[in-house]
Amino acid sequence: MRGIRRFLPALFMLPASLSVTLFFVIPVFMTFVFSFTTMSSDTGILGSRYIVSEATIRTLKDGDLDAALVRQLDSRVFAVNEAGLAALRKSNLKPTVVKEIEEKLSGKVYASEKQLFAALKGLSNRPRSFKDRKMVSKAVVQTLKNREFTTPKEFRAGLASIGIEVTDDVFDVLLEVANTSWKWTTGNYSELMASDFTWKILANTAFYVVLTLFFNVGLALVLALVTFYMPSGQSKFFRAVWLIPRVSPSVIYIMLWRWLSFDGGFMSYILGFFGVQPENWLNEFPWTFVIMANGFVGASMGMIIFASAVVAIPADVLHAAEVDGAYPWQQVRRIILPLMAWPILFITTYQTLSLMTSFEYILLLTDGGPGFFTTEVWALNAYHTALSNYYGNLRYGFGATLAVVLVAVGIAMSLIYLRLFDFKKLVAEPQIEN
Amino acid sequence: MTLKRLAMAVLAALLFAPLATQAAEIEIEVWAPADENERYRFVAISLAANVLNEELKIEGSDTRVVVKEGTSFGGSQGWAQLKQGFSLAVEAGKGPHIIVGGHEDIPVWGSAGLIYPIEDYIDLEAWPFSDLFPSLWPIMSWNGQVWGIPQDAESRPFFAWNPHLKAIGYSDADIAALPAKVKSGQYTLQNVLEDAKKIQDKGLVEKGYGFYPRATKGGDYWQFYAVQKGGDMYDAKSGKLILDKGALLAYYQFFNDAVFKYGVTKKNHLGMDWDQWYNEVATGKAGLWHGGTWHYARYTRREGLDDFFDKVMFSLIPSGGSGGKATTLTHPLTYLISKRAKGEEVELAARLITIASEPRLNTLHAIASAHLGITNAQTKVSQYADDRWTAEATVLLKSAFALPNSVDFGQYDTLVWKGLTAAWSGDLSPQQAVDTVVKEMQATMGDKVIIR
Repeated sequence: MRGIRRFLPALFMLPASLSVTLFFVIPVFMTFVFSFTTMSSDTGILGSRYIVSEATIRTLKDGDLDAALVRQLDSRVFAVNEAGLAALRKSNLKPTVVKEIEEKLSGKVYASEKQLFAALKGLSNRPRSFKDRKMVSKAVVQTLKNREFTTPKEFRAGLASIGIEVTDDVFDVLLEVANTSWKWTTGNYSELMASDFTWKILANTAFYVVLTLFFNVGLALVLALVTFYMPSGQSKFFRAVWLIPRVSPSVIYIMLWRWLSFDGGFMSYILGFFGVQPENWLNEFPWTFVIMANGFVGASMGMIIFASAVVAIPADVLHAAEVDGAYPWQQVRRIILPLMAWPILFITTYQTLSLMTSFEYILLLTDGGPGFFTTEVWALNAYHTALSNYYGNLRYGFGATLAVVLVAVGIAMSLIYLRLFDFKKLVAEPQIEN
Repeated sequence: MTLKRLAMAVLAALLFAPLATQAAEIEIEVWAPADENERYRFVAISLAANVLNEELKIEGSDTRVVVKEGTSFGGSQGWAQLKQGFSLAVEAGKGPHIIVGGHEDIPVWGSAGLIYPIEDYIDLEAWPFSDLFPSLWPIMSWNGQVWGIPQDAESRPFFAWNPHLKAIGYSDADIAALPAKVKSGQYTLQNVLEDAKKIQDKGLVEKGYGFYPRATKGGDYWQFYAVQKGGDMYDAKSGKLILDKGALLAYYQFFNDAVFKYGVTKKNHLGMDWDQWYNEVATGKAGLWHGGTWHYARYTRREGLDDFFDKVMFSLIPSGGSGGKATTLTHPLTYLISKRAKGEEVELAARLITIASEPRLNTLHAIASAHLGITNAQTKVSQYADDRWTAEATVLLKSAFALPNSVDFGQYDTLVWKGLTAAWSGDLSPQQAVDTVVKEMQATMGDKVIIR
């Protein structure tokens, strides 16, 4: 019994520790690992591939490898020799076809597949389908070009099959150039430092987080306090109305903002009565819309927490203040706000972190534009880099680098908040009960 | 009772067992970016399956093909979603067997090993590919191999609203001669701005509607770079992308001038609503604009523009001035076979694509969506030849260019696009925008781009 009791706390913590490990520690660690790779949609994620393609040859020509070797790698001839014929005999081509190839074409060498096919078409027992002709071509081709190898060993065997023997040093060079899969690199971090937009996007993020935070925490407080002083029925109604942005699906919520702001939209229509030309207001004041759209959503969440916190303040304290002649404003400033430090800390911390990583409303509203990253925040930039490109060039490795920075900033911000609001004092035993 | 049921079950099993083993059904899934007018990107493959199954029957094969129409990606985020979805799905061993992508997807997916080089599975010397417009082959090629079969072709013409042109002094003969003048370089982008201004000053259109470009980002904007002197994008010899500073400046300057010097384009034009845009250009609310051959389908059907040929002039995109040339972008979509297909599936997918490329089948898509055909023979299929739009617009294809097939294109394009939006909105002067793009490109793309 005592033994179980000792492990009970650990047992209680198990589900939480498991989820933290699964959904935080491991993803963060993997993101960190990926941030040191060149992984992208053109390198692929899984498996390694070695291919000598036209691009490989071009790179090799610019390097200092032996020119004759490069020419050999570049060559592609079709030689009907014993090895090729042996392969054909094993294939499911008809024996009569293979026999005629052996009789009439043995020892011949063709410079291109076209020539080989022309020769095949001259036979009486010829491979009738394109597939069969391709089979012959595959059996007799002497080349490394555009052949796919998945391991260095296979690649070496491939080189040997066309009679190329190289030293280990040269092999390493070839392997490096022919490798089309991702590689380890620290280049992502240096690219991050080299780009001017890194600082711009960082500044955007700070601007967005701070302004939206003020907007939604401030609005949440105002809403909570105003509804606190209202009759109960009305306050419930107003709180329910303010919850609408939170509960509407983001796409629909943003569609309403767009409809409000585009040149044929509600704002232009109303302003039209005052002689203002219709405008795409979203493009004119992108930040205003971004902050408002996000702020209204955040405010409703803060409002609920704050409203219940205000109600939880013992009424006798407020009554006593009223007897002492305190106006509502004085009650708010001297009694309510100080007693709400804890929920305010919670909401501020929570909103900072969630604003830093949230981007879906910006994505749907401005997509980071207009212009050079005007409303692009860090999380959105990570998304764009790693997962959304108009022409499909997704850079997973670089996107991971951006995400790592975000995690680091997030952890730093949490620590700062805990310091700033004196977390220890807030969770201390209430002195009144001692 | 139970015994009776058992006996029935056994009987049923015996009856149906031979049927079940007789034909092996192989499912081929297709993904395509397709709106309502572009359903034939899927349907052509389904129709091809009927023919293929008959062919298989004749060959004595037990295999039968069933086509599954997978996701169609529509809307403004559709392209990015299609590409993201395909990359991630195939990496995970899922996704389609056949995908209709853009030709610029070939290098990215080819390099990642997500697609097969189609030349290994289709005899390109045989019908109908022996008859393909030769200019389409380079667009389907990358790294020395042919990877895809063009699903359609198109061009992106320049348009003008004829009644407005007449109102500023053009005669019918002048309008009829305009496409030729554009082609020969006598009518340039400078004239576009001037005419747009005249149309606007006469009060024919509202301010900012004189020149009314495409509503959102798109490859179309590269045309305004390509028509400038030195506006090359790709160096075939080194396989690298090119950024010509002079052409880039002229390109940015044109849009900056349109907004600030002439006031014929709205500063906040980009990102506007497409439905509004289509409706406005199809009802004479804009003076001059540019679009794509498929716009014809939208203008004449949903927007109800009945007398298109009387109301609208179309031509190449005018030259940027001396040293430049009039051109238009062609952006053929392409049938690609993904690595999701294994063994026999690859071969069946290749045969489906071959049949779907038959002139008559491809014409269904061409007419339904107002895209252009892919083979010479198609221009003789009556449905195609009798359609005035496809017949006349196919001529533009001769002067068309395509975006380069390069793995670095997406990153390069993103920067150049951002530069344009900055110069357009006046955040930066055109020169500053060029400098920013060049600096950023040098910092982040290094020697992947030749900057000259």
